[in-house]
Amino acid sequence: MSIASPINLILLSLFVVLLYWHFRPKQPVTLPRGPPPVVFRTYTPKTLLEFNGVDGRPVFLAVRGRVFDVSPGRNFYGPGGPYENFAGRDASRGLAHQSFDEEMLTKDLSGPLDDLKDLDADQLENLQSWEERFSEKYLVVGKLVAEGDPEAPKS
Amino acid sequence: MADQAPILEKLDAGVSEILADWNIYTTLFAGILAAFAIYSLVSNKDPDVHPFLLARQSTASPIRQTGESATYRSLETPYGFPLRSGLNVKDPGAPKWTAGRRGDLRDIWKTAVRGALNEDGTTSGKQGKIYTVLGKNAVEHSLSQVTQEINVIGRHLQKAEVKTVAVCLTDSIELLASIFAGSFYGFKIVLVPHNLPAAILSSHLQNAKADALIAEVGSVDLSLVTKANKQISNVIWVAKYGNRHMDWHEVPKDAKENLDVTVWHELAEEGKNLAGFDVPEYDPTTPAPAVNTVWPSESQSGEFIDFKQENLVAAISALGSALPRTQRFNSSDLVLSIDSLSRSYPLCQIFNALFSNASIALNNSVAGENVDFALATKGVSPTVIIASSRTMSEYHDRVMKPHTGLISSLGRWVQARTLDAGNMPSKNFFSQLAQVGPTAELSLEKLRLLCISHRVDADASVRMTSEQLTDLRVYMGTRIVYALTGPGIAGAISQTNVFDYRDSSGPSHFGAPLSSTEVTLTGVSESQSDDYPEGQILVAGPAVVDGKATLSARGRIGTDNTLELSA
Repeated sequence: MSIASPINLILLSLFVVLLYWHFRPKQPVTLPRGPPPVVFRTYTPKTLLEFNGVDGRPVFLAVRGRVFDVSPGRNFYGPGGPYENFAGRDASRGLAHQSFDEEMLTKDLSGPLDDLKDLDADQLENLQSWEERFSEKYLVVGKLVAEGDPEAPKS
Repeated sequence: MADQAPILEKLDAGVSEILADWNIYTTLFAGILAAFAIYSLVSNKDPDVHPFLLARQSTASPIRQTGESATYRSLETPYGFPLRSGLNVKDPGAPKWTAGRRGDLRDIWKTAVRGALNEDGTTSGKQGKIYTVLGKNAVEHSLSQVTQEINVIGRHLQKAEVKTVAVCLTDSIELLASIFAGSFYGFKIVLVPHNLPAAILSSHLQNAKADALIAEVGSVDLSLVTKANKQISNVIWVAKYGNRHMDWHEVPKDAKENLDVTVWHELAEEGKNLAGFDVPEYDPTTPAPAVNTVWPSESQSGEFIDFKQENLVAAISALGSALPRTQRFNSSDLVLSIDSLSRSYPLCQIFNALFSNASIALNNSVAGENVDFALATKGVSPTVIIASSRTMSEYHDRVMKPHTGLISSLGRWVQARTLDAGNMPSKNFFSQLAQVGPTAELSLEKLRLLCISHRVDADASVRMTSEQLTDLRVYMGTRIVYALTGPGIAGAISQTNVFDYRDSSGPSHFGAPLSSTEVTLTGVSESQSDDYPEGQILVAGPAVVDGKATLSARGRIGTDNTLELSA
């Protein structure tokens, strides 16, 4: 009768395996990092222009000085969409007038921002509700200032 | 077919040859093997919390400012949701679907006196109790008795028309009663740490413009203090149980004549019949006055923190909700604070306990940032202990570590494997093995939770390491939350998840921000801002005085989105 018989050795090694399996160090779970946060930037009408969604670029539009990233709604705000005129532009006046026409946009990109002083109460309310909808759905990624504003980035 | 038969035959022969060696040892081995396999299967449990919740403990905002990290928030209140700002108090009779009020300290006392609720929302009449621990004994007080003292002291000071009351007491019923009296009867409370040199106390009182002082007899040199503080018109002495028979009405000769000196227990005795046991009526829409505390700083003079009631309730509510439902304070808990109530974390946790209808115990003789843990926990058998990182790390280094022998280490090793797997080890043979040496002097059978707070500007050597926390979990058989506190922030900035038992090397992280705060790192260099940002800690939210505070310390956000202090 021997203790070191093959069957005993087999059982012993099984035991060791089981022991290791029970007490093996368990690696804590790690999750992949999410996408890095977008940096909040200050835009001027000219620098905003390039974010018009052409060639897969993001679609931004500005409402009363706040720049929204509306890329998730590319079908509406991007090229070919009903609101495509607003892409890369200050859309405040257009939204207030419920009009998507080109003449709603500020023509002079180096001039001051549209102060919207001539809007009536209904139009301001209209604008307000658009702004609220945007704030709920989209991320504010920057602010829009006029060319030459002290806050404007030096180019 | 033909050529397979010999192989099978050979195999068969081999197996029978091996089996032929079966003997008594084989049976023994097989028995052990089977027993262990069964144990391994039976003891295999789901972890206490889903590992993914520990792998990403806070949410990052999708946008950040240049030179800053993203803003990190608790999973309860992610980006775009309002931070927790109050206790959500629902008044009886209010429509069910309306949102609750933010509440204030008066609601906390009212809830404590109301007692625990049954499942269906009716009152069960089961009130918490308050114990004062005096050495080895604990004195029990009923809440209605304390309500009476609140009424007596409140009316006394209201009649004297004081605006600001400095309270310079050890942790005691009187301290709590003074705070609540301030809220109900409309005067500001300034909590001054006790045992300060007279000159510093005197300058504190000047800064706070205190016109009344509540202090322990013999602890304050009245003539010196009143000379520098002409505005003080009222002094209430609190006498300890042992020396109540003496006459404490003596006014220092050089003090001004109209100084009104009274003694707490005499006031309480005289006003007993008038005051009544009812919580004073109040109009919840009127704001309750602030509670100030002193944040200790190196110059010893300290810095006044003007906590509004809104800050405190946001923090209290967030500390309550930071614990998962099964771990929250409840009416069967006894919460012992061995940290000074003049610090905001213990104070808010004690209020949280009162609001949860738990019983509380205050240590009258030893309570503070640096106390003897074994001594301070004598006399009661708490289920929850609130202590400072200094107390716990010194206890670990001076007592626990040197008393850890071979047997304890073996027990610890086995228990630590269970913790690794994400389970809190239950009390069993190995836990007793582990606790044989290190905690022999403690009597904490019922302990289930240890709340440790670390001051952001405290000595880095008292920061708890992951290993120390594991030791405490194993040797004391308790879960732990570990919080980071900072000046100007009620409660805590962030706190670890109670189910986070992961043991990484080095100093422990501080978990995710509470639901009443959000953390941003500033001064982050742009090269590293996207992966593991490191910078100065900026805390904002309803629990922060004036909404925002920048700390002197630098921090880091780890891979699991927890806050760490940089070396």
